[in-house]
Amino acid sequence: MHSNMTTRRLFLQKGMTLVAASATVPTFLDQTVLAVANPQDVHNTQQPTGKDGKILVVVQMSGGNDGLSMLVPFADDTYHRLRPVIGHDASTVHKLNDYVGLHPSLGPVADMIQAGKAAVIQGVGYPNPNRSHFRSMDIWQSASREDQIESTGWLGRFFDNACPGCDPQVGISIGQTLPLAMQGEKVMPLAFERPEAFRYNGPDHDRYEKLNKLRSTGASSNSHKVSPSGELDFLHRTAMDAQLSSEKILDIVRKYQSASQYPAGEFGQGLRTIAAMIRGGLPTRVYYVSLTGFDTHAGQRQRHDNLMKQFAQGMSAFWKDMENQKNDERVLMMTFSEFGRRVAQNASGGTDHGTAAPMFVFGSRVKSGVVGKHPSLTDLDQGDLRFTTDFRSVYATVLQTWLDAPVKPILGGDFKTLPIVRA
Amino acid sequence: MGVQTTRTMSSTHPSFEAYEPSSQDPFDRVKAAHLLNRAGFGGTEAEVQKVIGLGPKGAVDWLLDFSNASADEQNSADVPDLSPIKGPAGNFRELRKQLQTQTPEQRKQLMKQFQMANREAFMATFAWWMKRMAGGSHPLQEKLTLFWHGHFTTSFREERAALLIWEQNELLRKMAGGNFRKMLHAVSRDPAMLDYLNNNQNRKGHPNENFAREVMELFTLGIGNYSENDIKEGARAFTGWMHDGDQFVFNRRQHDEGMKRFLGKSGNFNGDDVLNIILEKPDCAKFISSELFAWFVRPDPEPAQVDAMAKQLRDGDYELRPVIKTLLTSKAFYSAESIGVQIKSPVQLVAGTIHLLGIEMPPPQAIFNGLQLMGQVPLMPPNVKGWPGGHNWINASTLFARYNSGVRLAQSKLDIAGLSEVNAAPAAVDALVDRLIQRPVEDKKRKELIEGYESKTKTDQSIRAVVQLIVSMPEYQLC
Repeated sequence: MHSNMTTRRLFLQKGMTLVAASATVPTFLDQTVLAVANPQDVHNTQQPTGKDGKILVVVQMSGGNDGLSMLVPFADDTYHRLRPVIGHDASTVHKLNDYVGLHPSLGPVADMIQAGKAAVIQGVGYPNPNRSHFRSMDIWQSASREDQIESTGWLGRFFDNACPGCDPQVGISIGQTLPLAMQGEKVMPLAFERPEAFRYNGPDHDRYEKLNKLRSTGASSNSHKVSPSGELDFLHRTAMDAQLSSEKILDIVRKYQSASQYPAGEFGQGLRTIAAMIRGGLPTRVYYVSLTGFDTHAGQRQRHDNLMKQFAQGMSAFWKDMENQKNDERVLMMTFSEFGRRVAQNASGGTDHGTAAPMFVFGSRVKSGVVGKHPSLTDLDQGDLRFTTDFRSVYATVLQTWLDAPVKPILGGDFKTLPIVRA
Repeated sequence: MGVQTTRTMSSTHPSFEAYEPSSQDPFDRVKAAHLLNRAGFGGTEAEVQKVIGLGPKGAVDWLLDFSNASADEQNSADVPDLSPIKGPAGNFRELRKQLQTQTPEQRKQLMKQFQMANREAFMATFAWWMKRMAGGSHPLQEKLTLFWHGHFTTSFREERAALLIWEQNELLRKMAGGNFRKMLHAVSRDPAMLDYLNNNQNRKGHPNENFAREVMELFTLGIGNYSENDIKEGARAFTGWMHDGDQFVFNRRQHDEGMKRFLGKSGNFNGDDVLNIILEKPDCAKFISSELFAWFVRPDPEPAQVDAMAKQLRDGDYELRPVIKTLLTSKAFYSAESIGVQIKSPVQLVAGTIHLLGIEMPPPQAIFNGLQLMGQVPLMPPNVKGWPGGHNWINASTLFARYNSGVRLAQSKLDIAGLSEVNAAPAAVDALVDRLIQRPVEDKKRKELIEGYESKTKTDQSIRAVVQLIVSMPEYQLC
């Protein structure tokens, strides 16, 4: 790597058009940037990111996680009556108080709550809940009102707001495409399934790089003028961003060694990649990773048990890693799903799409415990739980108390914050 | 008649005067390729030469020479190939026939069986449309179908019946270059649309406002040109507009026969009345004009340009062909600010690359996966707003996906007629740039490409090397 983040950022902010240099100089970026930059410029372009910044890791549980099997109201007779096959015995759960306990496989989560490093927020949802996976996921990711279509996400708006000229590495999502949550207007965060797939695959790498770095000058010997459009500059800029991020991330992940045992699969390996990137000192403030397969309409018990096991293994491997790295104080992890599931089990030993569900928050600076009110299992809305905490309250808390960002411009309103993060 | 002409003339915009080729400003290959890119999915060398020969007006007449008919109506063999699917019917038409002749209960059973095959049928429909876009004989009809698909969106993410998705796609194709008034009425009766926007749940006394909202916000007027009350009253007018399978039904018992006050008018309106009231609003023609301008020319029309287009659209009672013809033959279309400034949509990029390289269609799943990484799977828009487009197509991940997809496509057997006879590297590179980027590139980039050509010893290897570099250039992402 020839470049460092500050100069590169400066270079990008100054725009491609300010510098002209031969592409054959190997340290193309550094030299050209140093040639035009003065120390004042460098100082002014420092972004609120970097090795000491606070980090948010979002875990998306896709498909509609059955909250009542994750945080079990073991002391409620209605729970056992409505879920005779898929319910968990009171004796098997990790009791958090005299009403709720954690799924039998979530011992590591219970330990973290015990140690004062995790909290669970009960009954999180929104008014007039939508039971379509896609629509409800869009509502959660955009943090829009349930009857509004938004094309940006709450984290995307955070990036736009916190650092409009920011490096794309400010947000990294593990997965094929960028989730709506990270979609903004000014900043374009990164998304890749595996670091090895986040790269140019063509044969002539050197020439490809030169063709993408060469700045458009409009010079051509042909009769037609080449019109260097804003779009062409934009594409060059993005291409260079992509190339530099790709090299850096691949390098970091290849070199990473960890004593933690991450579970196989996209979720576990994704968490491992995230741990590597945190250790590697990327300026990333938000990481995003998914655990999929929660749409348990039939044969739920075994499938959900496996998912809980995978979640617990991945989560505890990650936090051991963070503690070894001494980065645990810098990281906050938050889980969510597009909806919870129907209170009563269905005829196939599964559950159908529902509404409110718990969210979990992990981190050494989390104020531990069970937060909010558990929804009633008898006062239902069409068989579904009535939410007790609006999900935007949780977002507002994370934005305000963790990411030090203003809530109103990002969420479009004020929401009550929750006591889940220690100052 | 004379008065009418004068009035029309006075409200046209100078940029919509026809572009007339001259010795200073000839109708050359850059302009011909520009037309084929914007009115289709790119032009091969033969097509570029043909268009140059036809001239700017003749070329647009040729492009607009398609019938207002679905693919199925034009050629009954031109339907998605469902034959490999284990299911109740060999193709959509047979299935539709079966659906029509059976009782509701039998139909339900049939649909259930079909669900298993549904996903495969969707893939077949996707592949069929991609093939039409990459190599069909009516590129402008397909380009317009893609435009209307982004406008009147319905997504297979939520509308899970492949049959209805295909039928809507055919409806859009049939009406693509016809009359917007008729299209709006037809789309409002389209089963996929009624289902997607929940009009089946829109009942007397229990209105569902989804369709009424989107028909104004996204299909006709644009946000800010109606009130929340107009949505409520409009929704009442559409009560009872439902579908049974792939047939529109008007459910009289669910229709609200009361008085409605809608966009300043009062009456016992039904859905058609509401659509006609909307179509009378100048904002409607402006909204459609602005979208067409952005689609074909560039994203930022001046208000006066929109007004002129909207006037032509309204004067012609929403006939689309005359407006499209004005646009595609105009000075605005051929001005330097309009050429090479559009970021290709993923569909444009992939269909165009297949077309320009003359390669065989890759397996549907491969195309699907590639497009998904780039952020645009046709028939699966992310939401009812469609794809935002422009800069939104591009981020670090999608850019790699675009480059890598191009590199992969260029590994196929290339059909670049005449090139193997060009031996000198500069001439070969110039020819490839002409055929693929279709605009000149900077000298230093040309030099890199020439070096890339010379780095291989065999001509076909040299050509492939340069093609793979070209599809990995920022310039190739624009048209």
